[in-house]
Amino acid sequence: MSATKNMIMEEPEPNPTPDHILDWIEDSVSCFPSFLNDPYNSDDINGYQWWDESQDLIDSSVTSLNTTATATSTTPTYPTIFNHPSPPDSSKKRKASDHPLPKPSQNHHNPRKNQSRRTRHADDGDAAVEEVVAVKKSVGNKKGTNKATGSNGNKEGRWAEQLLNPCAAAISMGNMSRVHHLRYVLHELANDTGDANHRLAFHGLRALAQHLSNASTSSSSVGQTFAYTDARFFQRSLLKFYEVSPWFAFPNNIANSSILQILAEEPDRSQNLHILDIGVSHGVQWPTLLEALSRRPGGPPPLVRMTVIAATVENDQNKETPFSVGPPGENLSSRLLSFAKFMNVNLQINRLDNHPLKSLSAQVINIARDQTLIVCAQFRLHHLNHKSPDERTEFLRLLRSMEPKGVILSENNMECSCKNCGDFATGFSRRVDYLWRFLDSTSSAFKGLEGDDRRLMEGEAAKALTNWGEMNERKEKWCERMRGVGFVGEILGEDAIDGARALLRKYDSNWEMRPEEKDGCVGLWWKGQPVSFCSLWKIKDGYEN
Amino acid sequence: MSLVSSAIAMAMAMEDTLEFDCSVYSNNTTTTTSPNEHDYGCNRRNWPPIDNWEALAGHDEFKDLIESMMDDEGLNFNLFPSEVDVVEGGSSNSESANMMAVDDETNNDDCKGLRLVHLLIAAAEALTGVSKSRDLARVILFRLKELVSPTDGTNMERLAAYFTEALQCLLEGTGGVHPKNLIGNRPQRDEQHHQAEVLAAFQLLQEMSPYVKFGHFTANQAILEAVSHDRRVHIVDYDIMEGIQWASLMQALVSRKDGPPAPHLRITAISRGGSGSGRQSIGTVQKTGRRLISFAASIGQPFSFHQCRLDSDETFRPSALKLVRGEALVINCMLHLPHFNHRSPDSVASFLSGAKTLTPRIVTMVEEEVGPIGEGGFVGRFLDTLHHYSALYDSLEAGFPMHSRTRALVERVFLGPRISGSLARIYRARGDDGSNSGGSSGEWLATSGLRAVPISFANHCQAKLLLGLFNDGYRVEELANNKITLGWKSRRLLSASVWTPSDSDLYI
Repeated sequence: MSATKNMIMEEPEPNPTPDHILDWIEDSVSCFPSFLNDPYNSDDINGYQWWDESQDLIDSSVTSLNTTATATSTTPTYPTIFNHPSPPDSSKKRKASDHPLPKPSQNHHNPRKNQSRRTRHADDGDAAVEEVVAVKKSVGNKKGTNKATGSNGNKEGRWAEQLLNPCAAAISMGNMSRVHHLRYVLHELANDTGDANHRLAFHGLRALAQHLSNASTSSSSVGQTFAYTDARFFQRSLLKFYEVSPWFAFPNNIANSSILQILAEEPDRSQNLHILDIGVSHGVQWPTLLEALSRRPGGPPPLVRMTVIAATVENDQNKETPFSVGPPGENLSSRLLSFAKFMNVNLQINRLDNHPLKSLSAQVINIARDQTLIVCAQFRLHHLNHKSPDERTEFLRLLRSMEPKGVILSENNMECSCKNCGDFATGFSRRVDYLWRFLDSTSSAFKGLEGDDRRLMEGEAAKALTNWGEMNERKEKWCERMRGVGFVGEILGEDAIDGARALLRKYDSNWEMRPEEKDGCVGLWWKGQPVSFCSLWKIKDGYEN
Repeated sequence: MSLVSSAIAMAMAMEDTLEFDCSVYSNNTTTTTSPNEHDYGCNRRNWPPIDNWEALAGHDEFKDLIESMMDDEGLNFNLFPSEVDVVEGGSSNSESANMMAVDDETNNDDCKGLRLVHLLIAAAEALTGVSKSRDLARVILFRLKELVSPTDGTNMERLAAYFTEALQCLLEGTGGVHPKNLIGNRPQRDEQHHQAEVLAAFQLLQEMSPYVKFGHFTANQAILEAVSHDRRVHIVDYDIMEGIQWASLMQALVSRKDGPPAPHLRITAISRGGSGSGRQSIGTVQKTGRRLISFAASIGQPFSFHQCRLDSDETFRPSALKLVRGEALVINCMLHLPHFNHRSPDSVASFLSGAKTLTPRIVTMVEEEVGPIGEGGFVGRFLDTLHHYSALYDSLEAGFPMHSRTRALVERVFLGPRISGSLARIYRARGDDGSNSGGSSGEWLATSGLRAVPISFANHCQAKLLLGLFNDGYRVEELANNKITLGWKSRRLLSASVWTPSDSDLYI
């Protein structure tokens, strides 16, 4: 990442077009506007090389594709590679004292460029940035003011909760006439379009109705979710979401930076990389990493192994973690492999379906000695019980026993909503709080535009209301668990922080990044409220399991 | 429209603080009965003489009076081209056919009425209480405005429109000021036109419902009985309005058969001084006086008219009243008839306590009946107000089911502003324990040491007979020996009571 920094020094850009998940695909950005309006326009979709149907060459859960050594020549074979946009200029402004840590090793190399393509791309980027700026002005949100007012749990303008939470409380108390009244009112105000409050009322009312009609057997009432959508539409919607919201893009970005950071710290640069992917990115996270690996001085690791732990499909959708289960046939492995080939990265993907987290072992994921194992756990571990029995600590202990070089843990930074941690009303209000942040931020992300893609993402997020297995925990609790099983928090490097900050600048100004000294976590905040946190962990020296 | 009331009944049952019967309501507005077929609990053969019966039976004088009032204003008000039929006891056959035809729609209306009631309650809740949320109130009111219009739709929809406007005023802090935008996009009407509308609406209210006459006739009958042997009678009237009550009293006085000649009648109208509306009020009272003088002259009733101004804070000074020895003094206090302006409880109290020191022969009191205050706070009172006005709306609709345009006039001119005012008062009074604003003036009279004067059998029968001229949903109840109420179905709306400060048991 320092290479990109170098580049910036040479040519600072007034409107940075930061590194982004989509930029690695030729033409992907330029085709987005029409794509937004017509998600089924197949002409545009063909721009996405990495899921072009013609490239579905390999169809198996375990695939290996060795790219040829000739691809490392200095002549660019694939223009896509050099379409890498410049990361932002933030690094200049940062004082060295912000992060008084040893920097990861810096290896400068000259990025190869395709100047003409890059220029065109930058134009597109500029237009996009201008649009974002205009929205910011009209909204009038200044980051500073949000910081000042938001930290005290500002509930202003959040009227839907004023109906949903009392209704849940009335359910808890068995006051059915009150429930009846509030449901009537919610019904009048609920709408799956419009502002975030109407949407929250819509999803909240459904969840309450489902709860009242005996939740255990009501998976039929689940709305538009990942599992029930078309695979291609699902992928496009997810990409679009990454484009407009940092909800996942931000933690993914930090995770990728962290992987590079760990690799950079490894003495033996010829070791294979093995990533254990327990996440919800459905593959969207990895192209940027593959690209960065290919640009690494000395080239990518000889072999990049990726073991993907797919979320187990439950019979009851109400038990599934939001965003974890895609539609049937969503497997992106083949496209990732194709892309890796472009990047001259030797990628091997092993997707494990029907392997519950609890049943994982070193044997199952096939850990080899000569590789750098990195665990990337994002928004999945809260699915595990945290009390009676404490599956969560058990699983972290299992991870520890695999002796990874690093563990990346990203989770929702929210209070637990399970039955053991509060009554129905308490848990429900916490779920509602979570969904509010999602809907409110998504409303800004889509700039108020309706669309099936937005509805899909929101419908999936709304599973948090009906998913009675959903159990968040505060960041502090997670960190405590990590330390408890023998991990020690690793401060994220300057490149990771810079990259994340630059990424965030692309999105709504109500988003905010809050690095923390303790355990080296980085928090993602929306309007002064915590949303998620990212953390990097290493095995504590001398710790005996 | 039983649906409205039953929707509110359901909502109120939820509050657990107010109870009333919603099961007696039925959707039946189709029975056509004449008063003769009813047994009102009075034996016609032994019917005692009712002195103002002729006034009751024949409306002509009142119509004439109102028309003369309109002429007075120099207006040619022709809102109602055809003579409005007085419905006796129910609707006609063609209307019942119509009712059948819209039966399917009734279910939808029913459902919508319920939705509106829930939304209104939720808006009231959002304005007050622990979960106070202006944002929520705003969004609920916005939704309500999408659903209703004050000039369109069912009773409940129009009623909800006025309540929505009233709540909107509370939200914006302009409570009590009747919103002009309710009237629509029409240009600001001039005062003359407004006066004409008020008169027309008043006439309609008189013909559509027994509310005005119930108060006037019950009070007048009590007055006639109390002064039957007096040569000179002096009535002090707290709120004379258009003075129509006294036209019917004069009529009764001059037409007494086998009785003494009509006594000399002197009426002192209380007027409100001060600036602006005060001058207007005095002007109105003067006009009323002129009309009454000419009416008295036309029927040969000896009559004189005076004014007595309240102080600027609307308190009453008994010394300001000119009294003549030998006159039988009567204190008449009409409050809250549907077309009346609101009078502050303090002003009423000062009038009654001052009047008491003058040892009048009787005090006649007509006022609005409010439900039990309970523990409901603002929301409880809000519901009570909603129930009250929905009963009023329902009764007007039952009286004139096919004349929505005329009803809309009455609603806009009288009821809309009343709703705004009522909600503003209970909103300002929220937090009170009810001791300040809860008691009725009748209760105040009782606790001030006045004694009950029983309402005569004749008077009671007269009230029942009056109601017989209207829809059979109206009810008269005797709550005490000196107090009868007029209600619509199970909801009491108005009460009339008679009192005396004197120790003599002349009337008992």
